Amino acid sequence: MKEFFIKLGDHPIYKKLLKEPLTYVAGAVLLSVFQIAHFTVFGKGWGVTSTFAVWGTWVYNALGGDAGSWAYYASEKMQQELHTSFLADGGSIRNLGIIFGALAATLFASQFKIKKIKTLRQVVAAILGGLFMGYGARLANGCNIGALFTAIASFSLSGWVFGAFLLLGAYIGSKLLAKYFM
Amino acid sequence: MAEFTLDCLGEACPVPLMKTEKKINELSVGDVLVVSIDHSCAMKNVPEWARKQGHNVEIEEVDDGEWEIVIEKAK
Amino acid sequence: MSETNSSTETGTQRVRKTRKPKKSQIPFAILLTALIIAFGFYLGQGSNKLPVYWIFGIAFGYILQRSRFCFTAAFRDPCITGSTSVTRAVLVAVAVSSVGFVAIKYASAIGGGDSNLNMAGVSPIGLPLIIGAVLFGIGMVIAGGCASGTLMRVGEGFLMQMLSLVFFIAGSVWGAHDMGFWGKLNANAPKVFLPDVFGWFGAIVVQGLIIVLLYIAALKWQQKKMGSIE
Repeated sequence: MKEFFIKLGDHPIYKKLLKEPLTYVAGAVLLSVFQIAHFTVFGKGWGVTSTFAVWGTWVYNALGGDAGSWAYYASEKMQQELHTSFLADGGSIRNLGIIFGALAATLFASQFKIKKIKTLRQVVAAILGGLFMGYGARLANGCNIGALFTAIASFSLSGWVFGAFLLLGAYIGSKLLAKYFM
Repeated sequence: MAEFTLDCLGEACPVPLMKTEKKINELSVGDVLVVSIDHSCAMKNVPEWARKQGHNVEIEEVDDGEWEIVIEKAK
Repeated sequence: MSETNSSTETGTQRVRKTRKPKKSQIPFAILLTALIIAFGFYLGQGSNKLPVYWIFGIAFGYILQRSRFCFTAAFRDPCITGSTSVTRAVLVAVAVSSVGFVAIKYASAIGGGDSNLNMAGVSPIGLPLIIGAVLFGIGMVIAGGCASGTLMRVGEGFLMQMLSLVFFIAGSVWGAHDMGFWGKLNANAPKVFLPDVFGWFGAIVVQGLIIVLLYIAALKWQQKKMGSIE
């Protein structure tokens, strides 16, 4: 049985379909097809990070905090978000899907590996990078998906403005990375 | 015609690429650099970068999710 | 991507590390696929919508991993190596999506009714957007992945990205907490929907022009930095 799977994994057709990376442009077109389908079905584009804020707030509230009074959660729609559960929330399910979709792709390619953290530098980079992205995404009302990909496709000028300043941030980030995190 | 190694296991983009670029610049023409990586994106962008620079590149899958990128400095 | 040129030249010189005995992960992949499908059916018991969200999530994660598509690289690589191949792919993505989105929005606008989708996905342009974008740009380069990229890499087994996800979530709560302050700065910020400014036809021309010009600029940038436009 094991032999069979090893053979299957080495078969040229299998490799072509499930192992060798697709081109970036193929990825772009496929993502767009699903992005358009998402807008058609739900009347809104794909987003990732507003769900992160909700996840964090659930934890915050569970630890005894009261986020219900924050201006961010003032609207009725956002209040609802606070009182739903992980398995009943579309955004949570979609984000979980991204993790498992990527895991499936990696396993089919036989390329899964736990990649350990090796240096303190990586820990600091992950913490600072995560905090910056989390805070920034709330201010900008989204990430590269919500505030850029979806916004531009929606013909919102904000998407182009976000992109321009994102490039500035990426430039600063690259300099910091070369200086402190290499 | 010396051979050098560069360990980038566990590193996420763009660190493997930046380290490779730095290291290649220190080598002389004809030297070989073997970069160990386990990041699927680096497995695509490091060879791509090296090819665009005109070097000879070979990718070898040494284990599940682990690769060695062999770059021969060409110029 | 297959083995390429001059393999004999570099190949014969070096002693190869022998590959460890092969283990196939395909059985796990099949098991996981079964679980993914089963979970979809489970979600379908309580709601029509949730399995659809599940499919979209799986598809996005799968495509991101298979193509190594990375929004971070699109903005970072031009700064580091000068390569714009991912940048141009992002431009292709927004171009294709724009066609679909504008068609749906236009259909909803001329169809009348109360479900006008014109302002869906349109955000205010104010100081918070600008500061947020810069912070996000810095963060994604340092952490090695944006939101979708971080989730994708968690699926690939990156412990560093799991840590970054935890702090991404913490930062999101912090940001949500401070929106009381930032929200005031957005009070007069305009929400600009391009067809409101240029008309539908004009907006399509303007958007198309921006994308084409950026595409050309990306090619020129790579030519200048790397000497090739591949």
